[in-house]
Amino acid sequence: MIYWLLFQKSFLRNMQYRLAHLINNAASAIFGFVFMAVWVGVLTGKESGSPYSIQDMVHYIGTGQVFLWLTVFLTAGLNIQNGVRSGAITMELARPVHYFSYVTVQEAGRIAYNLLFRSIPIALVYVLTVGFYVPENAVSLLYIFISAILAIFISLNLTYLVGISSIWTTEISWAHFVLITLLFGFGGQLVPIDLLPKPIYSIVALTPFPCVLYYPVMMYLEKAAPHVLLIQASWAAALTMISFWVTNIARSKIEIQGG
Amino acid sequence: MKLYFILISGSLKSRMQYKMNFIFSMVSYGMIMAVDFIMLAAILRRFDDVKGWDLYEVGLLYSISSIAISLYRVIGAEVHDFERYMVNGEFDSLLIRPVSPLFLLLTRNIDLSRIGGAIQGLIIIAISVAGLMKTGKATLLLIAYLPVAVLTGLIICFAVGVLTAALAFWTEKIKDFQTFTLYAPFTAANYPMNIYPGLLKIIFFTVIPVAFMNYVPVMYLLQKGGEWWYLITPAAVAGVFLTFSLIMWHIGIKHYHSTGS
Repeated sequence: MIYWLLFQKSFLRNMQYRLAHLINNAASAIFGFVFMAVWVGVLTGKESGSPYSIQDMVHYIGTGQVFLWLTVFLTAGLNIQNGVRSGAITMELARPVHYFSYVTVQEAGRIAYNLLFRSIPIALVYVLTVGFYVPENAVSLLYIFISAILAIFISLNLTYLVGISSIWTTEISWAHFVLITLLFGFGGQLVPIDLLPKPIYSIVALTPFPCVLYYPVMMYLEKAAPHVLLIQASWAAALTMISFWVTNIARSKIEIQGG
Repeated sequence: MKLYFILISGSLKSRMQYKMNFIFSMVSYGMIMAVDFIMLAAILRRFDDVKGWDLYEVGLLYSISSIAISLYRVIGAEVHDFERYMVNGEFDSLLIRPVSPLFLLLTRNIDLSRIGGAIQGLIIIAISVAGLMKTGKATLLLIAYLPVAVLTGLIICFAVGVLTAALAFWTEKIKDFQTFTLYAPFTAANYPMNIYPGLLKIIFFTVIPVAFMNYVPVMYLLQKGGEWWYLITPAAVAGVFLTFSLIMWHIGIKHYHSTGS
């Protein structure tokens, strides 16, 4: 029950800023228009040599912009670094709830808020302007839901690991930027990873980053086979184990002084 | 100017207390921009060009834009972070000094970690010019004009930054506006303007005139169209836009009311 309460509080806290976020959504939609324009410029007259049509790429970029707010734009380090700096983490680690769940469930509340006040409005902008893909098969909806949940879970783990590293480094802004860059580049935000040169593709495919954006987007566009869910699930399990392991090491490193 | 350098050296000394963090930040900021360009290169390697602009030509646009915004983030770190002064009520402390608040903001902090983005831009400029030389498109005039384009871009970016910061006098929070006024237009300016539909094109030529920092002069220099005055217009636009933003900044200060205690 405590987790549900944390989830709700986080959702409501974000509600305070919904007007500013709606303005930001317009900018986010413009980013999408810019990348769509790049692809229209690139593919005009060359569609026959491409596995993707112009329409495909407009849908791909649009869906990507919508998913970014669910799976990529998480709070830097899940704010763990603030607790490390202020010393509050000692109390948080001592609470009778698992620290990983305590931190990630609050972010999940923010992601639920993002779905309603960021992703859906951006999707509506695209519905009214360039068009937005609607899945045709009912069974796809189930796959999309599972893929999105796994993508969020993987991203939460990666962001958590960046945050918890602050126990050793204090400052995580550079690590956060590196993670965002990898999520954008290897996650296929601008270029679907199967269009990358073979050597780069074979490296990227071995990392968890395509699981965060590329796979859920392709699943939404009904262009991914169901087996990618297994790849996502494997990464989710592996990263969760690593997160728990690192949390245990972190706990043993923390000292509470005073008296 | 002497005062500027005294204040800046103080700020730099405090930054250099955390050398490793500084180096990591610099490398990571550079890497972010490089990954973007590598992705673009991957597209153009496969599809040759974007509406008639090949990789090296787009590389010129991309690098001018990324150096300009990186340098702005170096020298205008506090202008960019101006929201903090409004939200925390720190602006009062700037008003009681015998120097203009904007000057004080510029001297308070130089964010050298952002220089990584400019270094990455310089590398892309070098690669692009070398590539254009092979095809005979890189003229002496083009090479000589590049520093002018970067400076024009920096002025336009700084003007947009000040204008956005001035909004804080009315709205307090500006972070969400910055995505609208800075990040989106400067990302758009990485690519040739002829790819954008009418409304976006109008915005980038008027409201936030990023097209003038790279697209307009480079188009002429690469003989893709235009006249000789395409090389002069950007500086004029930058001057007018900077003046306008400074006027708005001063109007903002007059409008400012402290939160009090």
